[in-house]
Amino acid sequence: MSVTEQRAGIVRYPPEQFGAIREPAPAGEVRLSVAASAFASAATVMQEAGARFVSMFAADTPERSLVAAFALRGELVLVRAPAGGDRRASVSPVADGDTRARAPGEEIAFPGEATAFESIGAWWPAARWAERELAELHGLRFRGAEPAAPLTAPDADSLEDRQVSGLDAFSIPYGPVRSGIFEAVQFHIETGGEDVARIHTRPFFKRRGMETRFAGLAPDLGAHVAERIAGIAGCAYAAAFAQAVERALGVQPPPRAQRWRAVYCELERMACHLDVIAKQAETTALYVGQARFQILKEQVMRLRVGLTGNRFARGMIVPGGVRGEGMMDLGELLAALDSIERQLHRDRRMFLGTASMTDRLIGTGRLPRALVEEYGAVGPLARGSGLSTDARHERPYGNYVRVGPQVVSERDGDAMARVRVRFGELSESLRILRQAIDHLRRRDGQLQSALPAGGEGAACGWVEAPQGELLMWVEVADGTIGRVHVASPSLRNWALFDHAFPKDVLTDFAFIEHSFGLTPAGADR
Amino acid sequence: MLEWIQRGLGQGRITTRYPREPEPAPQGYRGSVEVLDADDPPPELASVCPTGAIAVAGRRWLTLDRGRCILCGECVRRAPERFAFRGEYETAGRSRAGLVVDGQRRAGEHATRKALGEQARMLRRSIHVRHIDCGSDGSEEWEILALWNPSYDIQRLGFFLTNAPRHADILLVTGGVTAPMRGPLERTWNVMPGPKALVAVGTDACSGGLARDGGLVAGGVDRALPVDVYVPGSPPAPIAIMHGLLLATGVLTEARAAA
Repeated sequence: MSVTEQRAGIVRYPPEQFGAIREPAPAGEVRLSVAASAFASAATVMQEAGARFVSMFAADTPERSLVAAFALRGELVLVRAPAGGDRRASVSPVADGDTRARAPGEEIAFPGEATAFESIGAWWPAARWAERELAELHGLRFRGAEPAAPLTAPDADSLEDRQVSGLDAFSIPYGPVRSGIFEAVQFHIETGGEDVARIHTRPFFKRRGMETRFAGLAPDLGAHVAERIAGIAGCAYAAAFAQAVERALGVQPPPRAQRWRAVYCELERMACHLDVIAKQAETTALYVGQARFQILKEQVMRLRVGLTGNRFARGMIVPGGVRGEGMMDLGELLAALDSIERQLHRDRRMFLGTASMTDRLIGTGRLPRALVEEYGAVGPLARGSGLSTDARHERPYGNYVRVGPQVVSERDGDAMARVRVRFGELSESLRILRQAIDHLRRRDGQLQSALPAGGEGAACGWVEAPQGELLMWVEVADGTIGRVHVASPSLRNWALFDHAFPKDVLTDFAFIEHSFGLTPAGADR
Repeated sequence: MLEWIQRGLGQGRITTRYPREPEPAPQGYRGSVEVLDADDPPPELASVCPTGAIAVAGRRWLTLDRGRCILCGECVRRAPERFAFRGEYETAGRSRAGLVVDGQRRAGEHATRKALGEQARMLRRSIHVRHIDCGSDGSEEWEILALWNPSYDIQRLGFFLTNAPRHADILLVTGGVTAPMRGPLERTWNVMPGPKALVAVGTDACSGGLARDGGLVAGGVDRALPVDVYVPGSPPAPIAIMHGLLLATGVLTEARAAA
């Protein structure tokens, strides 16, 4: 038994103990196969071993199965159970060179005769939404799952999942048409006027079926789709997709490409974090502060234009590497980053020293660590509650194998802690950027590794997106993409929003929402 | 607080002077794709585009629909002698057909930049804008929001954000309209008082973009409501959206003149 297996806790929980068979997998993944009847008990074993639930999805490789992904001590454990039915050709054959052919958008993975599973979500909250999604979109049945209103087909007018009752209690539907410029999502706020009794989040107003859009595309075209799942984190999505394809086909991107990916991803993290901080400043009417962080964000956007010609650095990351060198002089880029750091330093000091700002954040939207763990939350949200979950650190990939990020973690679990985590990560991103750019300046190298023609395989790719850990399962057959699953940090973290108002009032809503820093586009896909 | 005021003033002016003065796009900016050469296009050229924006018909017929173009650059990479990126912001248009370009005809509105500025002035600097997301990828919201940051500050032209659709003159719509958003979109539009204008922001709103054939997106806002101004781009830059908003004021002034 190898060291990594010992680390992954498989010594304490040998797969044989719960009747699991090990299957071959790319490095960093442990794949176990169990019978459908043992699927839930395998999840129990994972929970006891201290695993974090990541996602649950339908896969076609090596056969039609239900897969649950867990993060367990530096490894990704995929537990798979065959779900009945034959492996169906889910990818329509593609005419030569025609990139427009694709499978239909609505695709039911498990038709009526599929095996029923024991519900995991009944006792593990992290799995609840994943299960409902599988049940509603893919026709899978879970025994013992609590009945609930449809998650994936929301109706803006329905208030049927209202629970609070009483003389003074009322329910405010907020969204999907938001006040201000925000993405569509709806909240049912049940309140007696001031105290928030219960919040119920309803995502999926903007489900576009992006996962099925990959089917039949060549890997390099798939990157365009990945970038547009969540536009503000497009580089992270493209990188996760690219890594999944590379791992499935056994290709290693050249180090120079990995460094460029880190540059784009860290710039993206900076833009997202600055956006969240600017929005926090806006909610307390700290308008100069808001303007300052908006200016810094705009500077990052313009650096991306200088490097790539696109304000979101789109079109650069592809499976196999990156499309080209950044167009900007790297010395200039370093100087620009220095200038951003100087400004940021002063703005941060002033932001954290403005009592009218910090008073509204301290103690607001407190999430205890145990709750965050139970829901398998990720990203700045989890790190604000004392966890050190960071995909760059847990399962280093690409450039982060060489440059380990220092995980920024705060214990308080309130909106302030989440802002502090973001400030810390801005500095950390600048450090990683400098290191990567320094290497890019000194050495030359390849930008792309060729993908094997007609390659086949399936693998997970993961990235620490600005919103948290992002996992993508990608199946490749005959050199084209088949089934794709996106475990987005936004959807996983949103399940916690219902619990983020322990002692908070209605006016704290904006603070708490912004402190989550999520994107509905990523959640709804 | 005094320190913040000092910090704010210390910055100096960073706001663009567009539309009074031109705002050139930075070098290498990928703002739109143009057709360089339409002669004898090979028929398979159309299949290069993942969103079907390129059409080939006959010997001298090669068009590119910017309303469908997501600026991915597949055509520029595959046929650099026929397609090229252009660093331009003013890509918005008043008609869907006007977004289609070929070798000769360039898209875009011919009203000059200055005239557009005048139009906004005619409305006495009070235009209220409301936004609704109907299934965007989230980046369009960032770019719209950027219009109110100090670098673009569209408030100087008299554009204000409003939360109440009943106070709004212009509705900005992003995304290709998913089924659950269709009702809220129609209701928002219907309660807006006239004269009013609807601006589709982004390629997704113009045509559905990459999500168009998934079956979950209607495929452009104009499938649900009449669109007055199309702003293509995935996503369009803040100046491009500003250009679209200025075109929309033309819709408002025309309606006022007719009344």
